Amino acid sequence: MKIKRGLLAISVGTLLGGAIYLPLRLQAASEPPSHFVPPPGAGGVVVGLCDGETSIEVPWLKPGQRMTNEQARAVSNSLMSKWRERHPNAEWQMAQAGPNQAMAPAQAAPVQGGVYERLTPREQKIADIETAKFIEEGKEIFHDPGKLGGTIGVSCDMCHPDAANTHPETYPKYQTQLQRVALLRDMINWCIENPVKGKPLSPDDPRLRALEAYIISQRNGAALAYGKH
Amino acid sequence: MSHGVLSDAPKPGPSAEPKPLNQPGLPRDLYELSIPASNPQTPEKVALGKTLFFDTRLSADNSTACATCHTPDLGFTDQLTTSKGIHDQLGHRNAPTILNAMFNVTQFWDGRAPSLEEQAKLPILNPVEMGQKAPDAVVTKLNSIQEYNATFQKVFGRAPNYDDMAKAIAAYERTQITFDTPFDRFMAGDNKALDVSARRGWTVFNGKGRCMTCHAVNPTSPMFTDNLFHNIGVSAHKSDFVALARKGLALVEKGNTKQIDELALQTDLSELGRFLATKQTSDVGAFKTPGLRNILMTHPYFHDGSQDTLWDTIDHYNKGGVQNPFLDGGIQRLGLTEPEIDDLVAFLAALTSDHYAAAAKKEYARQKAHSRTTRPQRDTAAAMGVTAKAPGLKGPFGDVAPNPTEEDPALIGGR
Amino acid sequence: MPARHKSVETKYMEERDRVLRALRKLDRRTFLQVSAAAAGAVAAKGLVTPHSFQLVEVANAAVDKKWAQTGEKGNPPFTFAYISDTHLYTKALNERFVRGALKAVEDVNALDPQPDFVLFGGDLAQLGRADEMRLGAEILKEVKAPIKIMVGEHDWFLDMGETWQELFGPPSYSFDWKGVHVVTLMSVYEKDFWTARHMSPDERMHTVAGLDNGIQSRFEVGDAGREWLKNDLSKVSTDTPILIFSHSPLYKYYRPWNFWTEDADQVQEILKPYKTVTVIHGHTHQMLSNRIGNISFHGMLSTAWPWPYAPEGLPKLTIEMDRADPFDQFDACGNGRFNVAEGGLVDAVYNLWDRNPVTITYRYLASNGSEGRPPDPKSLSY
Repeated sequence: MKIKRGLLAISVGTLLGGAIYLPLRLQAASEPPSHFVPPPGAGGVVVGLCDGETSIEVPWLKPGQRMTNEQARAVSNSLMSKWRERHPNAEWQMAQAGPNQAMAPAQAAPVQGGVYERLTPREQKIADIETAKFIEEGKEIFHDPGKLGGTIGVSCDMCHPDAANTHPETYPKYQTQLQRVALLRDMINWCIENPVKGKPLSPDDPRLRALEAYIISQRNGAALAYGKH
Repeated sequence: MSHGVLSDAPKPGPSAEPKPLNQPGLPRDLYELSIPASNPQTPEKVALGKTLFFDTRLSADNSTACATCHTPDLGFTDQLTTSKGIHDQLGHRNAPTILNAMFNVTQFWDGRAPSLEEQAKLPILNPVEMGQKAPDAVVTKLNSIQEYNATFQKVFGRAPNYDDMAKAIAAYERTQITFDTPFDRFMAGDNKALDVSARRGWTVFNGKGRCMTCHAVNPTSPMFTDNLFHNIGVSAHKSDFVALARKGLALVEKGNTKQIDELALQTDLSELGRFLATKQTSDVGAFKTPGLRNILMTHPYFHDGSQDTLWDTIDHYNKGGVQNPFLDGGIQRLGLTEPEIDDLVAFLAALTSDHYAAAAKKEYARQKAHSRTTRPQRDTAAAMGVTAKAPGLKGPFGDVAPNPTEEDPALIGGR
Repeated sequence: MPARHKSVETKYMEERDRVLRALRKLDRRTFLQVSAAAAGAVAAKGLVTPHSFQLVEVANAAVDKKWAQTGEKGNPPFTFAYISDTHLYTKALNERFVRGALKAVEDVNALDPQPDFVLFGGDLAQLGRADEMRLGAEILKEVKAPIKIMVGEHDWFLDMGETWQELFGPPSYSFDWKGVHVVTLMSVYEKDFWTARHMSPDERMHTVAGLDNGIQSRFEVGDAGREWLKNDLSKVSTDTPILIFSHSPLYKYYRPWNFWTEDADQVQEILKPYKTVTVIHGHTHQMLSNRIGNISFHGMLSTAWPWPYAPEGLPKLTIEMDRADPFDQFDACGNGRFNVAEGGLVDAVYNLWDRNPVTITYRYLASNGSEGRPPDPKSLSY
C-alpha cells in the first residue's frame, strides 16, 4: 500500500554529515507543518519528526548538548524505525539531488521572486558570451577607420585608447560641441562626422549600438555622474 | 566738415519702440538673468534712456548720437563697413546691433566692456566716435538742460551723472529684443514656419556647416552665440596682420607696455582683437562670436564689415577661413555645395523678426542677385579639398567629410 | 575728485604696467624667480596680477645657484625647438596631419631669435611607409634651422628601419653642443612578437600602431643599445650636462599603452653617475614631466593628436593639460622649445596651439614641485 503522496523529511538537530535533508511536500500545501512534541519525561531531549506525530525521547541527551555523527545517526534511525512501526506498509522514496541530476520541476525549490531574479548558471553563461561578443564587435569598430566609415584613416582609439576619456557615465549632458543636451550616441555620431570624417550613423545602425556597448563597458564601475562637464 | 547738424541724426520712430515681452521665442530664464539687480527696468528709466539714445547733444559737436550708428530702422546698425563718427572720422570696427545685445556676456567685438552700462560710457569719450573729452563735459551739458535735470531727478533721485546716464541708456537697450521670428515659431512646434530650403539650411547649420558649435542656439539660450572669442581668419585678410601679431606677442613677452601703446597709435593694432584686452596668445586676432538674429539687417558682416553678403561670409568659412598662424583650429574647409549654401542663407533669413520682415526681404533679394554674379570670397577648389590633394606643400589643407544620409531635416539637430 | 572712466582695456594696461614696474624694482635673481613662478606665487609676494593679465615666462631659464648642481663655467645658454609625432599619412588619404606638421614648421620658423637646432621627436610617418616618410622629409626641409632627427616606432616596424636609415641615417648618435653632451637614443626596439604569429610586415606595423592592443612587446633600448650608450657616455666626464633624446620615455609610466621602457631601470643606472641629465621624449602626445634621482624627463607634444592621461602611473610632478576639444583639430597639440641655461639646466616651453604657452622650469622639477609650479588645468581627462 502506497503511502500518501509525498516524501518524508527527517530532520535532525545536528548539522554534521550524514543527515540527508529531503524536501517535504505536504498534501495540505498551504498549511505549514505543526510539530507536536511532547515534553520530556526522563530528563532528556525529545526529538520530533516533521510528520508532526512521531517523536522519541533521547534520555541521555541534555538540552544544548551536541551529538556526534554516530549518535545523531542512531537517533534518526530510531525515529525512522518508530515511524515504520506506525506505517508498516509504507514505501517511501528518497530523492537524491546530486549535482548533475536535473530535478523534476515539482521538486524544484519554490521560486521567491520573478523571472529576472534568477538566471540558471547556463543562462548566465549564455548572457555573458553574448554580451562579450557584442562588446568585442564594438571594440573592433572602435579601432578601425574603415568599419567606422571614416575617410581619412582616423579611428576612435587614436584619441581614446581603451576608450579612455570617453566618460560615458556623464551622459546625458550638455555637450558644448553640439550645444545641446546629448546622449553618448549623439557624441559618437558627432565624432564620426567631425574628426573621423565619416557619415553619421543612423540611430538603429548596429555599429552605433556596438560602439556604445564597448564604450560603456570600459567604464564599468564608474559612478554615474550625468551632466558632469 | 562736421557730420551734420541735429536734423541729420535719426529720429525715434516705430522701430525704436520698446518691444513686447510676449514673443514666442523669448527665453524667460535668460531674460531674468540678464537684467542686473543694480539697474532694474522701469518705464520712466526706459523713456529717459530712449531720449538720451537719440540725443546728439551727447557728442562734442552736437552732431552724433548713439542712434547715428545704431539706427533703429537699419536694425540698430548703420549698415556701413565701419562706423563714421564726428568730423566724418572712420573707425576700425563695424557697428554691432543693439538688438538682443542685452544677452551678450560682454560688449564690443573684443569684449572689453562687461555690461551694457559700461559699454555706453565709451563711444561718447572716443575721439573718432562722439568725441567728448571727459565724462565731466557730458555731465555738465546734461545738467544745463532743464528737461534732463527734472527727469534724472525723477528717475534716479539726483542730478544727472555719468553712471546714471549709462544706466538709462542700457535700460532702453534692454527693450530691444526680437524673438518673433519664423525660427522661433518653428522651435515652438510649427513645422511649417520654416520652408523646405530653410529646414535644409538648419540641417547644414547643425551638421556639415559646423555653425552650431560657435553660433550656439538652444531653447534656454537661443542667441546664436557662444559668447567666446575666435580667430576665424578675417583679420588675416589684412596683409600685415601676422607681422603685427608677432610684434604684439613679443612686446608682451618682454613686458614693454609703452611700446605697445606707440605701436597702437602708429599702426592698426585693432586687428589683434581680443588680444588687446587680455594679452593672451590664444586671443590673437580673435573676435567675439556675434548673434545671428536679424542678420539680414546687420550687413555688412564681420568685425571689419568686410563682407557685403551672407554668401560672402559663408564662402569665407567654406574654404576654411584665411590661413594664419593664429587661426582657430575649429575653422576648417566645409565642402558645402552651392545648393547647401543657398539653403543655409535661407535659414539665416528666417532669423528675421516680423518688424523687419519687409526690409529684410528686400535685402535678401539684393544679396541673392549679387551672389549670382559676384563672389569675391568663393574658392570652390579650396572648399571641396581639391587643390590640396595636388602635389606640393602649399595649402590650404583640410579634409571634408562625406555627406550625411538624407533624413527629415526637421529632426536632425534636434529641438 | 572726478572719477575717471577708463575703458577696461586701459585699466588692464595700467594694472599690467604697475605689475611690471614693481617687477623691475626687484633684483635680478628675485625677478627671475618671480617670473618663473605661478601667478599664485606672484600674488603671495604682494604683486597682484589682474585676472586678465598672465605673466608670460621670460625667455631665459631660471638660473638659481641653489638648484644648480653642476655646470661648466662659461657655457653659453642656448635654445632648441622641437616638432614631434607628426604621424603623417599620405596627402591623398588625410591632410589633417599634414596641416598640423606644417603649422609646427611655421611656428618654428617664426621664432625670433631662431633656435640653435630643431629636434624632430619621432613618429614622422604613421604606417612606416616610404611615401609617408618622404612627405615628412619634404615638410622638414622647410625648417630654417638645422634638424636633429629621431626615430619612432611608427617609422620603424614596417620594414624594420630600412627606409628610415636610408633617409635619415643611424637611429642612435651623439654630438656635443655648447658644453652639453647630446645623445639621440633609439629606444623603441621590441622583442619579436610577430614571427610566432605569422604576421606580415603590414600586420606587424598595424599592431605596433595601435596603442592599446597589448600584443606588441614593450619598448626597450635593448642590450646592444645600452652597451652603446655606456660606451658613448664613458667618453664624457660626469660633470658634463647630458641631454638624452629618446622616443620612449625611459621610465615606466603606463605599461598597457607602451608609455614605458622595459629596461628603463638599467638605462637610468647608466645615467646615474652624471650630475645633470635631462631626457626629452616623444610618444606620449601630452604635457608630461618627471624627475627620478638626477634625471629630469620632459614629454613633447604631438602635432597630430593628443593622448589622454593614463588611468594610473602618472608622475606626480606632471602638470596636466586640459583635455582636448575635438571640435578644434589643433587643441592639446603643438610644439615647443627647450631653453638650456648655464649648467645644462633645462626649461621646457610647451607651445600649446589655441592655448596659452606653459613653461616647466628646471627649478620646478629639481625642487620636487615645491617651487615654480605653473597653474593647474581646469578640465582634466576622465
